[in-house]
Amino acid sequence: MIDKAYILDNGGFTAKVGMSSAKPRVIPNSVMKAKSERRRPFIADQVEECRDASGLFYILPFQKGYLVNWDIQKTIWDHIFGKDCCPVNFNETPLIVTEPYFNFPSIQEAMTEIFFEEYECQSLLRINAGDLSNYHYTSNNPGTLACMVVDVGYSFSHVTPYIKGKKRREGIKRIDVGGKALTNHLKDIISYRQLHVMDETYVINQVKEDSCFVSLDFMADMEVARKRGNDNTIVRDYVLPDFTSIRRGFLRTLEETSKSTDGEQTLRMNNERFAVPEILFQPSDLGVQQMGVAEAIVSSINSCPKETQPHLYSNIVVTGGCSLFPNFQKRLLQDVRKLAPDEFNVRVTLPENPLTYAWEGGALLSKHPEFYSFVVTKEEYEEEGLHICYERFDV
Amino acid sequence: MSKPGPKPRRDVNSRRVLDEAARRRRARRALEALEQDNFHDDPHGDLVMSKKAPKFSDKLEVRGGGRKKKQKHSAEYYKLKYRKTFNQLVEEAQLSHPDPPNYLSAQAEPSNLPERHFCAVCGFPSNYTCIQCGTRYCCVRCLGTHQDTRCLKWTA
Repeated sequence: MIDKAYILDNGGFTAKVGMSSAKPRVIPNSVMKAKSERRRPFIADQVEECRDASGLFYILPFQKGYLVNWDIQKTIWDHIFGKDCCPVNFNETPLIVTEPYFNFPSIQEAMTEIFFEEYECQSLLRINAGDLSNYHYTSNNPGTLACMVVDVGYSFSHVTPYIKGKKRREGIKRIDVGGKALTNHLKDIISYRQLHVMDETYVINQVKEDSCFVSLDFMADMEVARKRGNDNTIVRDYVLPDFTSIRRGFLRTLEETSKSTDGEQTLRMNNERFAVPEILFQPSDLGVQQMGVAEAIVSSINSCPKETQPHLYSNIVVTGGCSLFPNFQKRLLQDVRKLAPDEFNVRVTLPENPLTYAWEGGALLSKHPEFYSFVVTKEEYEEEGLHICYERFDV
Repeated sequence: MSKPGPKPRRDVNSRRVLDEAARRRRARRALEALEQDNFHDDPHGDLVMSKKAPKFSDKLEVRGGGRKKKQKHSAEYYKLKYRKTFNQLVEEAQLSHPDPPNYLSAQAEPSNLPERHFCAVCGFPSNYTCIQCGTRYCCVRCLGTHQDTRCLKWTA
């Protein structure tokens, strides 16, 4: 039993980080450069100091969901662990750090080396973010035998069946669509239809977050969006930020939409509002020949042993940034219900904060009475090297 | 005996029509573009350090102390040590662990649902395909826009 641990859920877009005794912070996991500020780059949460975020240039440590740019990641970590962000003393605090499924051995090696030798961690636990989500879910629902963790993230989406706390690796399915593809696609279509915004990833990401929603009846919504005048209840104007008086853009209400603008620059959001998140449910809309989230869940559950299937269907939990789209949970439930056998109960849980769900799972795990048997200590690493990590960490 | 019909004459002015392979290539390129982090150049890329600028070293030359003997590695060190592209990583993992489950086998299979098509111009469901490039459109107006702006113009 330990009193606290430091938990780093190192995502492709944001890092969720903090002491298990406090609340987690969500920090951009990137270095950004602004046109307006030529003297310095903005590392991670420093971007809050950036007054003009137009044309923000991103340098990300992750590519396709895997850590490849180590120099960038090291710079960001140095900042995060430093006194200005989320200070930590690894000498006395164990570290839990997450990594993606099927992480590549050389990345794991690098990560282990950096934390033990560079940051001089006393003890380290490398784990999949999904394992932490599963732990969180089973702690909240004692007696759960199986759990389906759905992680719709930035680089990709994963569905992973957990049976009695262990992940079934054969059942893991990855869909190569995530928040990044959605933002880039939205950028594409707005640039073609209305206004050139190809350089405005930061702003368009906010447009996506503020205006997109998941449709519960896609074709019906398409018909509504086609209508003119007052019959169209979907169309909205989005007021873009100008970084002088408007720091963050916002969506106008239906009544205010189409009113004359006094100098504000707006985007007209119509079928884009629901056609973009729809790609998660049907990637073929974009030309990605893969199953959507709901189909992948069913296919993954079908690959699991018969006796576990009813448990998996009734314990689906959704995490990750894309699950924040309004109606995401409803639609997922609706689609899985359609595809699942009648006799099974389907239940989809959307946690209060799907972004930090895995992080909170880490905080719970650090209170586990046998937590110390999960970690690798610096002494063990120095004695046995990487081998002990492969043995102890189930990633 | 039937006379051979008039050979279809190739109109010199007729538009180029992309074949299936070229269309697929374009679609793949469009998908790859969705992976890009930025579409513009580094705004600080043209900054040149003045030679006259004073140079400051981050490291303070402190002798003794003894506790901090170990040389800390710079970010550059890790960049050099673990310099591998994503494709190299996949290939390496495939060689060391060829049996599924692994990164490649975890990819979701193609969907069983029929593909839907949307107009490239306005985003509504589309029934027609551009003859030249295969892009979808929904009405004559959108076709006009498409031909004026995108069709084989910038990308082909």
